[in-house]
Amino acid sequence: MIGIKSYGAYLPKYLLPRESIGKAWEFPIVPGTKAVAMADEDSLTMAVEAGLDCLAGNDPKSVDGLFFASTTQVYSEKDSASLIAAVLDMREDIITADFTDSLKAGTTAVTRAVDTIKANKDIKSILVIAADTRTPEPSTMWEYGFADGAAALLIADEDNIPLSIEDYYSVSANVTGPWKRAGKDKFIRTFEPKMDAKFYVENITKVMAEILKRNNLKPEDIGAAAYYYSNPRLHGRIAKMMKYPGGVAQNSLFFQVGDVGTPMPFMLLIGALRRPKEDSKIIMAGFGDGADAILMHVRDRNALRDLGKSRMGFLGHQKSMITLKNYNKFLDFKEIVEKDRYTRKSSAVTIWRDAASVYRWYGLKCQNCGAIQYPDMLRSCYICRADDQFERIKLSLKGSIFTFTLDHLVGGTYLDIPVPRCVVDLDGGGRVLLNMTEIEKPEENVKIGMRVELTFRKEHEGADFKNYYWKCRPERGKP
Amino acid sequence: MVRKGIKDKVAIIGCDMTKYGELWDKNQYDLLFEAFQSALKDTGIKKDEIDASWIGIFYYFTGLSGAMVEDILRMDGKPSTRVENYCASGMDAFRNASFAIASGAYDVALACGVEKLMDEGGSGLPGFKIFGHPVYPTPSAPAMFSMAATRSFHEYGWTKEDLARVAVKNHDNGADHPKAHFRSRITIDQVMRAPMIADPLGRFDCCAMSDGAAALILTRPELAESYAHADDYILVKANAISCQTNFPWYVPPGGPGAEFTHFPATEKAGEYAYKEAGITNPRKEIDCAEVHDCFTITELLNCQDLQFCERGQAAEELKNGTFNYDGEVAINPSGGLKSFGHPIGSTGCRMLTEITKQLQGRAEGRQVPDAKIGLCHNLGGAFTVCSVTVLGQRD
Repeated sequence: MIGIKSYGAYLPKYLLPRESIGKAWEFPIVPGTKAVAMADEDSLTMAVEAGLDCLAGNDPKSVDGLFFASTTQVYSEKDSASLIAAVLDMREDIITADFTDSLKAGTTAVTRAVDTIKANKDIKSILVIAADTRTPEPSTMWEYGFADGAAALLIADEDNIPLSIEDYYSVSANVTGPWKRAGKDKFIRTFEPKMDAKFYVENITKVMAEILKRNNLKPEDIGAAAYYYSNPRLHGRIAKMMKYPGGVAQNSLFFQVGDVGTPMPFMLLIGALRRPKEDSKIIMAGFGDGADAILMHVRDRNALRDLGKSRMGFLGHQKSMITLKNYNKFLDFKEIVEKDRYTRKSSAVTIWRDAASVYRWYGLKCQNCGAIQYPDMLRSCYICRADDQFERIKLSLKGSIFTFTLDHLVGGTYLDIPVPRCVVDLDGGGRVLLNMTEIEKPEENVKIGMRVELTFRKEHEGADFKNYYWKCRPERGKP
Repeated sequence: MVRKGIKDKVAIIGCDMTKYGELWDKNQYDLLFEAFQSALKDTGIKKDEIDASWIGIFYYFTGLSGAMVEDILRMDGKPSTRVENYCASGMDAFRNASFAIASGAYDVALACGVEKLMDEGGSGLPGFKIFGHPVYPTPSAPAMFSMAATRSFHEYGWTKEDLARVAVKNHDNGADHPKAHFRSRITIDQVMRAPMIADPLGRFDCCAMSDGAAALILTRPELAESYAHADDYILVKANAISCQTNFPWYVPPGGPGAEFTHFPATEKAGEYAYKEAGITNPRKEIDCAEVHDCFTITELLNCQDLQFCERGQAAEELKNGTFNYDGEVAINPSGGLKSFGHPIGSTGCRMLTEITKQLQGRAEGRQVPDAKIGLCHNLGGAFTVCSVTVLGQRD
């Protein structure tokens, strides 16, 4: 039976109060907050976070494919899925693909994953990750909505699937907007928002109504409906049009987190899976130049609840978010403020050769004395000095600070300072040097012995190449 | 490692250095030229008597290859080699020149060093964006040593005030030195209030960016008596280098230096040098020392690693005056890197010049009373390379 075996999510650390946007532009104040990624995050790094969350308790080597869905791909020629798969330490004999250019890319990727698993006997599971970091144009209403986040679903064909996928239905619709011209526009554009809204309501209700009809279901048969929305009022109207009973239409996201784009239907679904009704039906729907509706069936409520306990998911991240007090910081995170960004030497070749250490997070274990060292560029043991006695070993993503400093002289200049440089002893062995991110008041809060967890981040864009590496952060509760 | 060593086989017959500082109106060629001409004068020889040269330069932008000597001094195509070994570049140039003299291959050799940092701007050492790996963190120099400070605070109970005393002592010494970059005395309070560079090291915990050059002329002792310092030439007693890892933050617990509270390079180079020189009690036998104080924490830890005091005791010993210019072991009587700044390739040669003059009783700043045996020490990279040279008076 094909269905959802596991899920995971990622929300960045900071919540920007909408009030601060209103105050900055003297707009009418809109209530709530929205999730804001830091300058060292993008759709790819957030996808890694959601992927790690989803794969907690699963062997990444057992997954046969990775689909990545986003409208904010980091490259337009060069896919992200293969890089994300490497960082997640997946096999190389897998299928990878990017789904892009539409906010329904996430739900579309799920439908393609289902079809692929059905069609190919060698592919039993595909990890689908959706992530977006859409930059809103300052002083527009988009700024109140657009938020950052990622979510992942592990689609698999197994006997004991807790949430089966029963059916899907899609429509294609060339609508009036919005759009972003490839390579030209930094911000999205639209001609007539009212027309855009009309297409959205029509298409998303059409696919959800059709999937009910095809499966002889009535609205009251649905336990949860997780459909994309960017406007709470339209969300309510759709729930009414669909005649969903109260509480069925999932609307927990916009007020606190905002419109996260592509991953939104996944996140709404994950939210609904906290308290799934046994044997109930769930609809997930995405919109963007057409719409997808996916019908699911709760097969094992307890297994779904256990999944919720063993990963951060939506709630675990939400709990550990804090308020971003300064609107200018948001502009800085989004690189809307023009300033020199830190770069350094870049070599795509070096990064490719060192992928085991840089991306997959492997160290070396000395077969002679057992010492674990990192990175895997040195071939003689630090401890027993044996030559070429190493075996590659996967390192932990958690550890404790042995010593540190707060560096104000980054790359010879004072940019984004201070940067905590932390010598971290990883759980299970391996000593590494990591910069710290997501740290408030480092002078007070970074300490010897402090517990940290690793997070994959954008490092710099020297030579116009995206250089990524691991950083550490104060614990948020990574599984 | 010490096999036979070169104790008493090499004599310093002349030396000098430029003024150190932000020398905007001079380039590296001027600096080396001036140091060399003063050293020639001090030695009482002509440049044609020099058989071969070694020059310490760290940065490519100061100059590449031994041709730096040829271009600056026009040595008629004689042998010359550029030596790069981090902050020990200058002292390693001296070491190579010493070996050439001790072997008998040459009669007179030049060891010199120069660095022109200020043309790159003064906000910390340049180049950290192009060194090393594209993504593995490359901490700034103060950040590297700060990680040892953080850990030493934790293990030894030292405080920022303990570090401040190093800066106060060195600036106090340097205020008397006409060639020092900085000649002002400072207070503990000033050190404590200075802006942070790499927590817990503030501005006065860090040596400055400076320009400068120094040069020494070497020969065999039996030839030394025919030059100007016939009666007070200085003998090389030992000459040692230890190289440790470039990446101390990757050394697994239990490996060399993994504690971040001592520098294995300094310990080893010190051991090698003491063995070669026949020194068994450094604290008693060494009268004065130029010890690498790129950062205040560096001097404290080096004093322990050079066996001038017990581990964990350097802060207390400093407070008690052990390391004052008139204390048991005068540490940085010149004012050290704190007062001179650190034009990297030149610093080792500057220290050797300073100690030579101390042992000759003609120190330009504070003269250490009755100094007979002196030591010079550099520690460069991420505590990676250490050079130790022991100098002594002739019999």
